[in-house]
Amino acid sequence: MSKIKVVHYLNQFFAQIGGEEMADIEPEIREGLIGPGLALQQALGADYEIVATVICGDNYFGSNLEEAQSRILELIKPYSPQLFIAGPAFNAGRYGVACGTIAAAVEKEFGIPALTGMYVENPGVEMFKKDLYIIETANSAAGMRKAMPKIANLAQKLIKGDEILPPAVDGYHERGIRVNYFHDQRGSARAVDMLLQKVKGEEYQTEYPMPYFDRVPPATPIADMSKAKVAIVSSGGIVPVGNPDRIESSSATKFGKYDVTGMDRMSKDDFISIHGGYDTAYILEDPNLAIPLDVLREMEKEGRIGELANYFYSTTGTGTSVGNAEVFGTEIGKQLLADGVTAVILTST
Amino acid sequence: MKLELGKILIQDVQFGDKTEVVNGTLFVNKEEIVELVLEDDRLIGADVELARPGEAVRIAPVKDVIEPRVKVTGGGALFPGMINKVEQVGSGRTHALVGATVITCGQIVGFQEGLIDMSGPAAKYCPFSKTNNVVLVIKPADGLETHDYETAGRLAGLKVAAYVGEAGRNIEPDEVVVYETKPLLEQALQYPDLPKIGYVHMLQSQGLLHDTYYYGVDAKQLVPTFMYPTEIMDGAIVSGNCVAPCDKVTTFHHLNNPIIEDLFKRHGKDLNFMGVVLTNENVFLADKDRSSDMTAKLCHFLGFEGVIISEEGYGNPDTDLMMNCQKVSQKGIKVVLITDEFPGRDGKSQSLADTVDEADALVSCGNGNMIIHFPPMEKVIGTLDFIETMIGGYEGSLKPDGSIEAELQIVIASTIANGYNRLAARGH
Amino acid sequence: MNKLIITNNSLVFEKYHSNYDVIYLKDAGYLDVLYAARDRIHLSYVLLTHPMAGSLKPNQTPYKSIIVAQGENGLDIESVVLIENSISAAQKFLRDRGTPSWSEKILSDFRTVDLSLMEDAIQKRSLIAI
Repeated sequence: MSKIKVVHYLNQFFAQIGGEEMADIEPEIREGLIGPGLALQQALGADYEIVATVICGDNYFGSNLEEAQSRILELIKPYSPQLFIAGPAFNAGRYGVACGTIAAAVEKEFGIPALTGMYVENPGVEMFKKDLYIIETANSAAGMRKAMPKIANLAQKLIKGDEILPPAVDGYHERGIRVNYFHDQRGSARAVDMLLQKVKGEEYQTEYPMPYFDRVPPATPIADMSKAKVAIVSSGGIVPVGNPDRIESSSATKFGKYDVTGMDRMSKDDFISIHGGYDTAYILEDPNLAIPLDVLREMEKEGRIGELANYFYSTTGTGTSVGNAEVFGTEIGKQLLADGVTAVILTST
Repeated sequence: MKLELGKILIQDVQFGDKTEVVNGTLFVNKEEIVELVLEDDRLIGADVELARPGEAVRIAPVKDVIEPRVKVTGGGALFPGMINKVEQVGSGRTHALVGATVITCGQIVGFQEGLIDMSGPAAKYCPFSKTNNVVLVIKPADGLETHDYETAGRLAGLKVAAYVGEAGRNIEPDEVVVYETKPLLEQALQYPDLPKIGYVHMLQSQGLLHDTYYYGVDAKQLVPTFMYPTEIMDGAIVSGNCVAPCDKVTTFHHLNNPIIEDLFKRHGKDLNFMGVVLTNENVFLADKDRSSDMTAKLCHFLGFEGVIISEEGYGNPDTDLMMNCQKVSQKGIKVVLITDEFPGRDGKSQSLADTVDEADALVSCGNGNMIIHFPPMEKVIGTLDFIETMIGGYEGSLKPDGSIEAELQIVIASTIANGYNRLAARGH
Repeated sequence: MNKLIITNNSLVFEKYHSNYDVIYLKDAGYLDVLYAARDRIHLSYVLLTHPMAGSLKPNQTPYKSIIVAQGENGLDIESVVLIENSISAAQKFLRDRGTPSWSEKILSDFRTVDLSLMEDAIQKRSLIAI
């Protein structure tokens, strides 16, 4: 019986090519397995064979989504894979988004099972859980030994067409897909049980978790704008030419604060956009479209706003995890308050 | 109020010269049933067919399902305000032919209520694949106006169920269950240490084919009120709803309300079942505000510590469900909701049309959008003409060989939101 | 409060246009009625009936009627949330399967049911101050 052909996707780091400095490498494919592919092969067993490993730099993928996908699909085609595994990416945001994107593309293009693994906070989970099975992993490569058997187990089920059990059993992130099953007890009896637990203050488990809306109470409106100190904060990825802080083009792990003292408008000679999630052509030509310095300076001169802060804060929105966004927001907010800023204009794209 | 429910177990149904129960077999006289139905000259045709568990029979389109019962003692008669006088019911002794039903079948509008399969893969989704069914196929007078036809059909089903139920009057029941709810203050004192639990029963009340009746009163006209649980067992609540098959609360389900049954099972043991609050699901938003305010007020006024809330329908009723949940919770009363889900064909969208933060304890009755395949059946009672226009059906649903591919929604009471079934949905 | 009925159902138009303001979107679809209501809600109209009234799903019945009224207190957030949820739910159903082209008899039945859903709200509630 011939072995099931598997293709494995890795980034530049796990493919043992290099670290951040090699994150721009373009897609390539090599025969057989590389690095963590060994653990995957062992977990899958003798009936499966990793015939090729396809590699791409996280930055390249993030900044060239369309091209990276089509090139990788072309590279994979000749191997006629029957199963595709990406990563696992653990908590690496750009890697997670790349794994999710390419796995979904492979599944769609070749009609074969494709899966990956990520840590719960990886932005790739939120983005792709509805489209793919994403195995739950630890937040670093130290979790590789535990992750691979789970990936292999689920992959085997998908290949054999076995029933996929609930997330807690088969080890994947809950996808938010509702599936019917027959319980031992009828619904009304379960309702009575649940109610008594709730009334007695005991723990109970709802059968349908309501969607969670992370609500932040809005601040009180500004009474008089002509006295307000206004600052600009943007997730549009606007940075000084050269990107001195090396803010990522997606799945940002940092934000920057940039000086605009003495400037009446944003100049394309001074500022660029490194955002990987939209077509930056217009903004590269005129950065005022993302950081409306020109209009705000006019308003400042006319006295319609009290004062414009002489800096703006910037990061990249696309692929950035909710966790990181919360951290940025809290920190930026603190700094703005310390500087007496009373109003913020948030620009996104 | 105290009611003794005598359960006469029916294992088979046959035609006979006399409508009677002999050793667990229900015999029905076809001619008498037809004559009874045709007393209403809005109907010009009636036929009776039998469908038993395990048979290769498909019944479509189904209007209502009713359990044959008879009021033996205790005042009033079955289905008060509908086919009998409005006199109060819920006490004394009532007999039920358990394991038998009367099903009304027939076209009222061009898009129809659902189907029942007596065997095959779809049977497990419907409780009536396990009962012995007397199916009444009705035909309206030419040009009969829709409202009149719905009324005629509804009354025909109730009349036949009461007529068949008569056969149980003098039979010694196989089992007698006693249900008792004392007047409020006495009830509270009876089990002072047990949590006081109530049931909020939401009745469908939106319009034609979407109505429910309490002692004959259209639920749209109700302000929330308080009912002894046993009243429902004598048919005080009747269904006039026949649009969405899967979560349709049939009159059978009103008579056999599972929440009331399961609360009684634990009554006096770990809870004190105080009674039932009835409310509605109107279209007019101010009515919803009023009804939910009053429901919360009643629950609080009556001293409930916890309530179960059930609904009928999707969309508009989800808003009532959430309003009730929120307002009752805000009175400090613990709430559990029972509902079915419609997360779309791929199961990925929002299951409910509305949400509130307080809805943190929910029992699921299943995903109605799931696609299932039904093989062809040898015999069809009624007609398959309307499969594709039924909710859950679509163009191409009915295959030339008689098999059907449709959403689970199309099966009668498959996801009924009062927890009668064991079907549930979970997150994958 | 001035009631305004927004509908694509000829029966509703015929029955009520002499006594009430009716916006009759002849030949428009189910979603169009929801959009028309939403547009007015953003101009401070208030919903009087639930946009998802009736158990007939949005990809089944082509008819929809909604009653709104001119509000006096600016944007009514509850109406906004309700109409947007209804639009989202309708789009979910229509995404799975479009509304079939029904025969005239069936269309007539859908119109009858839609009218009935409105009747109670219009006739018996018309004197209630909101």
